[in-house]
Amino acid sequence: MIPGKRRAAVMSFSAAIFGALLLQSVSSQNEPSITASEHTTLPVEGDMYMLQCNLTSYQNIHQESYWTKNGEEIPETRSPNRNTEYKLHKPRGDDAGVYMCVFTFDLSPSANATIEVKSAPEITGHKRSENRNEGQRALLYCKSVGYPHPAWTWRKFDNGIYREIDNSTGRFFVSSKDNYTELHIIDLDIGLDPGEYSCNATNMIGSREEKSVLRVRSHLAPLWPLLGVLAEIIILIVIIVVYEKRKKPEDLQDGESPVKTNSTNNHKDKNLRQRNTN
Amino acid sequence: MSPAPADPLEYKPLDGGWGWMVVIGAHISIGFAYATPKVLSIFFNEIQQDLGSSFSEIALISSIMLAAMYAGGPVSSAMVNRFGSRPIVMLGGLLCGVSMITASFGTSIIYLYFCIGVIGGCGLSLNLNASLIIISKYFLKRRPLANGLAMAGSPVFLCVLAPFNQYLLVNFGWRGSLLILGGLMLHCCVAGALMRPVPLPCKPPSYALEKTVEEQPNSGNTKLKKRFVKNAKKFLDFSLFKDRGFVIYLIGSIMFIFGAYAPIVFLSAYAKSQGVEEYSAAYLLSIMGFVDMFVRPGTGLIANSKLVRPRIQYFFSFALVFNGTCHLLCPLIKSYAFLVVYAVFFGIGFGMVFALIFECLMDLMGSQRFPRAVGLVTIIECFPMLLGPPAAGLLVDVYHDYKYLFLMCGSVILTGGLFLFVMNIYNYHMLDKERQKQVRASEVEMKLTPQAGTGQTEPEAKERNVALRDPENTETTD
Repeated sequence: MIPGKRRAAVMSFSAAIFGALLLQSVSSQNEPSITASEHTTLPVEGDMYMLQCNLTSYQNIHQESYWTKNGEEIPETRSPNRNTEYKLHKPRGDDAGVYMCVFTFDLSPSANATIEVKSAPEITGHKRSENRNEGQRALLYCKSVGYPHPAWTWRKFDNGIYREIDNSTGRFFVSSKDNYTELHIIDLDIGLDPGEYSCNATNMIGSREEKSVLRVRSHLAPLWPLLGVLAEIIILIVIIVVYEKRKKPEDLQDGESPVKTNSTNNHKDKNLRQRNTN
Repeated sequence: MSPAPADPLEYKPLDGGWGWMVVIGAHISIGFAYATPKVLSIFFNEIQQDLGSSFSEIALISSIMLAAMYAGGPVSSAMVNRFGSRPIVMLGGLLCGVSMITASFGTSIIYLYFCIGVIGGCGLSLNLNASLIIISKYFLKRRPLANGLAMAGSPVFLCVLAPFNQYLLVNFGWRGSLLILGGLMLHCCVAGALMRPVPLPCKPPSYALEKTVEEQPNSGNTKLKKRFVKNAKKFLDFSLFKDRGFVIYLIGSIMFIFGAYAPIVFLSAYAKSQGVEEYSAAYLLSIMGFVDMFVRPGTGLIANSKLVRPRIQYFFSFALVFNGTCHLLCPLIKSYAFLVVYAVFFGIGFGMVFALIFECLMDLMGSQRFPRAVGLVTIIECFPMLLGPPAAGLLVDVYHDYKYLFLMCGSVILTGGLFLFVMNIYNYHMLDKERQKQVRASEVEMKLTPQAGTGQTEPEAKERNVALRDPENTETTD
């Protein structure tokens, strides 16, 4: 290449790059910037935790701001302030999640900042015991709160320790989603299936587990009590009837005398009016 | 003063001895009759899950059972008149047991309606009426006490069966529980075995009624109509409506039954709406049942006393007024402690009324007319019993406030009680007038006979106005 032309090319190239960088810095000056609170992990000290967002630089007119939790807008958080706060009172497991402060503008797209409030999972709902007949299907479930969403595992208490569930019979189905998990057992077997099951929720902060007891009832179980009751009833009826038959001769005498006394009374009191009674 | 029965007793009631065993039998029988429809609701949740129907469809089982139990009254009374109490109670127990056992194999809700609702309800109606009738045959002097003890079966069985059913449900599932419950209901057969027939010296009067009807001439077109009337008369004796006391009692008890059950159904819901937690709200009903258990025999004892027995109809109207006032004061209660007090007073009022409700009918009708009367009363009471809770529920739905429910029930019961009180004053007054007329007529008859008038009948008649009814005295008059 001719030396003069090379210099021109380099100069135009560097000018282009400089121009691009300048444009970049100018446009980044136009983009709004937000200073937000740090990500945190529950539990925190004190009764309250404050989430703050401060809109530090912006180009267009700022309209309003609001907060969202896990993608859904939190009601009554809309305000026109540049400095917005959201208070968490006594934050517990269900306060954990992904919080976002959103600033809306008249002429440009909205800006947001994300604050993650993490916590170890807490199991809030589970079935303490499940009783089913053999051959039916059982459902054990566990619900939790906390962020990030835990990984669920189900275990069975066998011979002193918790083991992985043996699904060689193909009757166990686990379905887990976010903060909820279900263990389905079909075609219950009275020998293998009864026992203690536990659901375990684990995330990067910590883990929890809860136990559920599964009992399988046999179809023939109520027969023995029924036969016992029937036997007792027959014995009682026999006793009552036999007692009555044996007392009957005495009873007949007792039965006749009231009738007799009545008629004698009639004779006593009704000497005035003769009536044909008995 | 308790009005004398129109027809005299042909024998002297035992008033003790084997009669107490009969009371035990009646206690068991009545206990199952009133408690079973209520405690079945414990199974409803599991049945609903298994059969996949809505809650109102399941709840209909209890309603059908109660309706069948009350509607079967006249048939049950007619059968007892024909065969005596013992075979009927044994048949009733057998029907109940069979109904529960067959229901445990059910796969559809209609099957359960038929087995538990219809057959079970019929069995219970046989039990209930036969037990009441045999008490009226075995007791006279101690009848209020016997009635109180027998009716106490309802709260006792309710308190026993409720937790027991829960235990059965957990350990055996609803099918196994129904199976075992069926076996337990066969204890009504044992109760029936205890109900030894009363030795009657002559034919029961129901035959006399049938004979007089048969003797009517049958002519041509009206033959079918007369046969229908004859059959209907066997079961429903409408001539009872001519009895002033009966009509008064009927109106009073209809008003009571209309308002009686709704507060029970909605009490725990009301408590929860006032901020009471679930277990404490359910506990209120247990308190009521527990108090009821002791109040019924206690009321029987009080009603048996010399002071109250002649004026037992007034005591009954007092019990209704007490009950109504209780309900009217309920909306003023906001705290749990006062709700407990309300539950106690509710239990007292409820127990008093139910201990007396059949005793008063026996008192009015006498032991001969009681079977037909109780059949008629139960089938008529079927309607307010089925209409009461839904009407109250409608009030709650429309106004979104439980206080109108309590105000309605309380005012209906209170009005019933006051009505009974006023009309009974009138009724006793008229009966006294009629008795004076009779006494004067018999005096005239005595003066015409040559034998010396001992003048016993007039003071006897006056004595009857204050003292207890004595079977020997009743036989001397007609």
